[in-house]
Amino acid sequence: MMLRPIRWLLRLFPWMISVILRNGQNVITAFVQIWANKGRSILTTLGIIIAVTSIIAVVSFVQGFGNFITDMVRGYGTQFMVVRPYTPPERYRAGLGRVTLDLSDIEAVRVECDALSRLTPFVYTGEAEVVYGSEKAEGVPMRGVTEDYQTIRNFYVDAGRFFGPVDVETAAHVVVLGRTLLKSLQCDESIIGEYVYIGGARFRVIGLLQRKGSFGPEDQDETIMVPYTTAIKLYPDLRKSIPFLVEADGEGNIDKAYGQITRVLRRRHSLQAGQPDDFRIDRQDQMVRQFERVKTVASSILAGIVSISLVVGGVGIMNIMLVSVTERTREIGLRKSVGGRRRDILLQFLTEAVVLCTIGGLIGVGFGFAISYLASLHPNMVELDTPWWSVALALAFSAGAGVIFGIIPAFKAAVIHPIDAMRHE
Amino acid sequence: MGDTNGALIELIGLEKTYRVGTEIVRALRGVTVSIHENEYVAIMGPSGSGKSTLMNIVGCLDIPTGGTFNLRGKDVSKLSQSRLARIRGRQIGFVFQSFELLPRTTALKNVQLPLLYAQVSHQRKRALAALERVSLSDRAKHRPNQLSGGQKQRVAIARALAQEPDIILADEPTGNLDSETGEEIMTIFDSLHADGQTIIIVTHEESIAARCRRVIRLKDGLIESDERRGDSLPQAEVSRAVSLAAS
Repeated sequence: MMLRPIRWLLRLFPWMISVILRNGQNVITAFVQIWANKGRSILTTLGIIIAVTSIIAVVSFVQGFGNFITDMVRGYGTQFMVVRPYTPPERYRAGLGRVTLDLSDIEAVRVECDALSRLTPFVYTGEAEVVYGSEKAEGVPMRGVTEDYQTIRNFYVDAGRFFGPVDVETAAHVVVLGRTLLKSLQCDESIIGEYVYIGGARFRVIGLLQRKGSFGPEDQDETIMVPYTTAIKLYPDLRKSIPFLVEADGEGNIDKAYGQITRVLRRRHSLQAGQPDDFRIDRQDQMVRQFERVKTVASSILAGIVSISLVVGGVGIMNIMLVSVTERTREIGLRKSVGGRRRDILLQFLTEAVVLCTIGGLIGVGFGFAISYLASLHPNMVELDTPWWSVALALAFSAGAGVIFGIIPAFKAAVIHPIDAMRHE
Repeated sequence: MGDTNGALIELIGLEKTYRVGTEIVRALRGVTVSIHENEYVAIMGPSGSGKSTLMNIVGCLDIPTGGTFNLRGKDVSKLSQSRLARIRGRQIGFVFQSFELLPRTTALKNVQLPLLYAQVSHQRKRALAALERVSLSDRAKHRPNQLSGGQKQRVAIARALAQEPDIILADEPTGNLDSETGEEIMTIFDSLHADGQTIIIVTHEESIAARCRRVIRLKDGLIESDERRGDSLPQAEVSRAVSLAAS
């Protein structure tokens, strides 16, 4: 039973091939007709041209921006993971909010997980206040980390130095500033060695971070970094739940590291089998993969929305094909009187509509590429990417529009009675 | 060829009734006539006499509402549209008053059109041969707008001949031509007749009818007169008569 439609399709196949082979003459006729009415043909296909142009352009832009972002995410390294406390909603409702990750958890992970090469606690507050002389910057994101942070996040100093293990161990009052802070505090690189006040405490500026630019709305250069031990002293409330960043020892160890961390934390938190984790591990490699998926879905959806304009173009084709059928009634009559059957006439006019739409599609693809190229000339533009599938899809859709919107005019032509046709003036 | 009385076209009590709005028009009211191979027939009659209707039915463009039409002994009066198209393509060659050539298409491609629909082999060769018969092989690559009226009609005749049809059906073939060119076209028909081709010409010009061997006059959907004026039987007719006599 399942095979029936398949067998039917298989039987249809040779017929379709023979139709296509015999259709060569129709394609030639279509080109002759289209060429004979050049001006009209161009105006007719304008809708299709614009539709396909926008499909190609939109997909190129979305893909280009997507690539830009994935490249950036990938630039942080795919080997690192972020482990954060996470209260499952049902526990949250039960009022079981408690300490979920603390320094002893982190220490246990450091000691027990051998698939990790680096680890840093991540004590974060977005509300630090930095005072330098008479200048003051408020609401500054502060990161309390170890020296491993630079390597894990690819975020180094390019003036002065980063703090070292000793600074972390002694909770030294040293700080590394992001470049945006220099502007807020109205100073230059000479601030290295000077003192600033953070949350009322005195810190020595030991280094300046390299410029990193913005990631979405976040200015990555507006930050200060201190040893996490110092940050906890400064903001004791933060010690209750401390996220941490780890780096797996090589790409191949990502899964192993993930498993080890999960095991250690579940044991330490006394979670029974079946109980959900009370922490979350965000894997950078999965984020990249997920983002790739989002990018494809987003561009398909946008391309789909833009495809609606193909319908408008198709209606234009249908309109002009109906006019053409009326104009060429005598030709249809002649063709019928020399042996053309209904299906021959149907195929002829259908072919003409499809050829017209496909030409429009090809021109649209050309314009789409041209627009993408012109846009890429802008210095701040990301590199645009036109995937092959968008071109194939756009062409298939425009040919499909030819079939769908050509069928009514072609049918109208096919059923014209030869006598009426020959009498037509 | 397999038929009993040897008639190529056999019409028995042929009727055709149209409905025009609420009015019923009886275009043909029982036409009975036989046309044999190699006959050269003119069909005449005033407008409204039913000669166009008759021609449409004989040309398999239309089907009768009553009576029988046997083409080569085969009843074609109740065939489907697609069957009729096949017969038109293979057995009938039309020549129209206004030529009906496809514009922007070379003479050769125009002549090839029936062969294309019939999906026969050697289309180009056959089309060239047909153009040769109307002495236009040197114009094969010309488009209709590069041809004179007479040349256009000769291309149309070549197109009608391409499939080597049983019947050539010409509807006022000289109607759009001056008398000199008309004469030229009629000479071609004469020579085709001499080669054994069956030709039926619908006309209202007595001078055209005068060249034919048989004149059928219609009036009010009936045959008014049917006269043969063959001063000499063409060769094919003679040989057929001989073969009949021998059997």
